[in-house]
Amino acid sequence: MMSTLSRNAQCILKILEAGGSFTTSEILELARRAEYAEVCKDCAGGDTFVIAANQLVERGIITKRIGKGGYHWQIVRG
Amino acid sequence: MYLDSACMALKPRQVISAMNEYYERFPACGGRSIHRLGEEASDAYSRARGKLARFINAAEPGECIWTRNATESLNIVASSVKIERGSKVVTTSLEHHSGSLPFVERAKKTGLKLEVVRARNDGTFDIEDWKRAIDSSTRIVSVVHSSNVTGTIAPLREIIEIAHDRGALVVSDDAQYAPHHPLDVQNLDVDFSAISVHKMCGPTGMGVLYGKMSLLESMDMFLVGGDTVSDVRFEDGRIIPSYLPPPHKFEAGLQNYAGAIGAGAAAEYLQSIGMREIEQHERDLLRAALEGLKQLSHVHFLGPDDVNLRTGLLTFVIDTVESAHDIATFLNDRYAVMIRSGWHCAAPFHYQIGIPPSKGTARASIYIYNNSNDISIFLTGLQTLIEQTS
Repeated sequence: MMSTLSRNAQCILKILEAGGSFTTSEILELARRAEYAEVCKDCAGGDTFVIAANQLVERGIITKRIGKGGYHWQIVRG
Repeated sequence: MYLDSACMALKPRQVISAMNEYYERFPACGGRSIHRLGEEASDAYSRARGKLARFINAAEPGECIWTRNATESLNIVASSVKIERGSKVVTTSLEHHSGSLPFVERAKKTGLKLEVVRARNDGTFDIEDWKRAIDSSTRIVSVVHSSNVTGTIAPLREIIEIAHDRGALVVSDDAQYAPHHPLDVQNLDVDFSAISVHKMCGPTGMGVLYGKMSLLESMDMFLVGGDTVSDVRFEDGRIIPSYLPPPHKFEAGLQNYAGAIGAGAAAEYLQSIGMREIEQHERDLLRAALEGLKQLSHVHFLGPDDVNLRTGLLTFVIDTVESAHDIATFLNDRYAVMIRSGWHCAAPFHYQIGIPPSKGTARASIYIYNNSNDISIFLTGLQTLIEQTS
């Protein structure tokens, strides 16, 4: 599955695989950490990561819900 | 509802038709081929340059160089203006990356000092800071005319007077100013102006560099090649070029004829509406948007209240929403309202005001095709978002 995903989508998935749900800010902050540096390489402004996350939602791979603080993202566990 | 014109303006039929006409009726090389189609392409291309010159009141069409965008225009200035080692370049903390980075790199490469005038956190400037920063060693000043973050309009006339008084040139980043306000480069006495055509209803991949002819004549070229020369002699085993005068010496290779023709159509279209009328329309909508935002709890907008100090965009954060991207996502998903989020290629200013990249700011921008209903739905969407995130 991973090979069909963009690098930014892989970045989002790798972060979310840690488990639970993450807010957008949390994802973007994690994306800048050294442990994700190999796959999370795009602009620190975050636009491209959010676009990738929304594409993953459209593909049914992750979900997002609006709540306290903003959107919360989570992997769909099958 | 499209509220992202500060990034990309929508295109009127007149622009699309003008470009289609080129592709359908005379899709040939301009300025090279002597056949009928070539002649028509050359005429249309030449007229387009004249339309842009009228749009900004350049002294002559040759002062307008076609580029890909304002970024390329600014890079040409930064790389081609002659500046002695040890001289100073002045820019600001409010610049788009395209207004600062070309000069940061030039300073690194050729041993220049770079001084940054710090904007106030509302995007305005203290003119005394400019008087301190620009001195007799300053060779060039790069300043954003209208900020793409705060929307504030810089006191460009005063800055130019200070710079010229001390022997420095001024390049104005007019990417956000030119589409929304009357711009008269001669009246301002600005030395260079960088314009992105895609923000003024024109095609993508087109920009303009305005420069005073005497300055353009004195500058080296950023790119060279076909169409830039009057002759290239081959003597004693050497290739010896003679370059054309501006604008041609700066326009190397086959040009984007359709893009230039579309740019001319865009300029003509905006002028047919009237730049004063456009400015007033946007200020009326901006006033309504600002008043509406003030009524919403948890919303903080950047820039001053006075719409006369601003271009038609407003940038804000909401206390209850951690990331500005969530504001843009929510408005798009639930209300079909399209705004921009992030740091808008102006990271230094975001760091200055203490907003990290993971939070960013949300920006709604207004243009000629927006109306009060757009603003009303935008505000309703924000109200709902605040309720759902509190």
